[in-house]
Amino acid sequence: MTKPVHVLGAGAHPWGKWPNRSQLQLAIDALAMAIDDAGLSWPEIQGLVAASSRFEGGMGWGLHANEVVQAVAEQGIPCVNVGGACAAGAIAFQTAYSMIASGQCDVVAVLGAERMPKGFIPRPPGSQDDITDSDYLRWVAMGATNPAYWAIEANRRKHDFGTTDATLAQASVLMRRNAAGNRLARFRNPTTIDEVLASPMVSDPLHLLEICPVSDGAAALILGSEQYVQRSGKRPVHVAGCAIATGQFGDPGRRIPTISSTVRDDVSHTSEVTTAVQRALAMAGMGPNDIDILEMADNTAWHLLAWPELFGFYEAGQGDWMLNNGKLDIGGDLAVNPSGGFLSFGEATTAQAVLQVCELTWQLRGEAQGHQVPDARVGMSAVLGLGANGGSVILKT
Amino acid sequence: MQIPVAEGLFAVNGAGVQLIGTRCCSCDTLYFPQTPGCRNPLCRDKQLEQVLLPDRGTLYSYTVQRYQPPALFAMDAWSPYALGLVDLGHGLRVMGMLDDVPLDKIAIGMALKLSLRTLTTDENGQSRVTYAFVPDTTKDHA
Repeated sequence: MTKPVHVLGAGAHPWGKWPNRSQLQLAIDALAMAIDDAGLSWPEIQGLVAASSRFEGGMGWGLHANEVVQAVAEQGIPCVNVGGACAAGAIAFQTAYSMIASGQCDVVAVLGAERMPKGFIPRPPGSQDDITDSDYLRWVAMGATNPAYWAIEANRRKHDFGTTDATLAQASVLMRRNAAGNRLARFRNPTTIDEVLASPMVSDPLHLLEICPVSDGAAALILGSEQYVQRSGKRPVHVAGCAIATGQFGDPGRRIPTISSTVRDDVSHTSEVTTAVQRALAMAGMGPNDIDILEMADNTAWHLLAWPELFGFYEAGQGDWMLNNGKLDIGGDLAVNPSGGFLSFGEATTAQAVLQVCELTWQLRGEAQGHQVPDARVGMSAVLGLGANGGSVILKT
Repeated sequence: MQIPVAEGLFAVNGAGVQLIGTRCCSCDTLYFPQTPGCRNPLCRDKQLEQVLLPDRGTLYSYTVQRYQPPALFAMDAWSPYALGLVDLGHGLRVMGMLDDVPLDKIAIGMALKLSLRTLTTDENGQSRVTYAFVPDTTKDHA
């Protein structure tokens, strides 16, 4: 029998480019805010789970949690460092959840902090320059950038459902409008369909303003058992469901960095994420209709149209109508990324999924100043990472 | 002299250009490029063989790469080019450059066949070649 788990505190450093602040400093700042938000102090933290990055910190081995405790609180607690690329934050959450649900710990912190390199993400050292490495082949054989993968999906959607360029642009417009009220977001100027369509074409049909850039940022959460839920005096937020998953054989999604797909009928597109979402919903005993807010990885405008359909919120192809009729706005039927999403934050890879759950926590408490979803009771996150990693968390008040 | 961008990726023979893949004889699944294992969880025996893949297919989707990829992708006289996702049948979809078709004439469903594309040529006349898809003029559009 597992024990109930609650979100006690959330904290995040604003997203942006922070050349004068180390990844470790961003991490420490976010953790300090989360601990303070929970009404706790370091000696009460019984474990730390960090998303491992390959870009900076972690002593070169992804030991980001160890680095933090050695910097601010050497107190013998278990430090767990988890990989999962852009989904690492969700895997860290799942790990911390399990540590509490099992009864082993009462208070565990979750951390994701990242400073992204400039330009293209370099291949990791030690990669093979031959056909065994897709990330080699996709460059040397065809120069396929990440946006090219997403653009291929977007063009197929245009073919299948008649999605227009203006509708894709509208998704970016919505994200910027939401971000305008969020002090943590990097890009907070509202934009227009004309401005989005006038931005440089990157990979047809996706323009620069329809693709998330990379950013620096850090986010942290404090999870705890029943006995800690009233400590901060804030509105309690409960973990209703959480799950991680990997991809299914036959998934038709264009998975970075592979150069082919072996497709089988009846296998979900982006199955690593849809499987995680289905598991989280099953655990919560909920269906899509129970969700008020979806915080999802919008690497591009296409994702905002396709993902809610894949999760079963509505029929395939209906996303365009939902978006264009305000149903995905703050105050609409399903508020999608009231935070402003990746398009307004830029992706700080390993921190992103932790930030999603911070956002849900603030929304459910009614603390999302400037971008609050009215009467939000249940929120869901969904994220995708390299290696066909998917994760989803459902919180409720 | 033509050097392929990677060994074991494609073969040039009397029949033209063909991609080198793997077929699982146990569950009849095709993979590209060659794979060390069959990923089908329901397949038990996973007996693999190297195969030359079909050299014709239809365009499932595409994009145009409008800015220059990192240096690992070398191409003389760089200019925007198309990338396609091509359905070769049997559940296999392969990404590759699209050649010999104007960027505004690309259409999902068009018939394509495999070809070679020279990416770079050095002063000794040695060229680096990759596989590419070109319109299959022997076949009408779907």
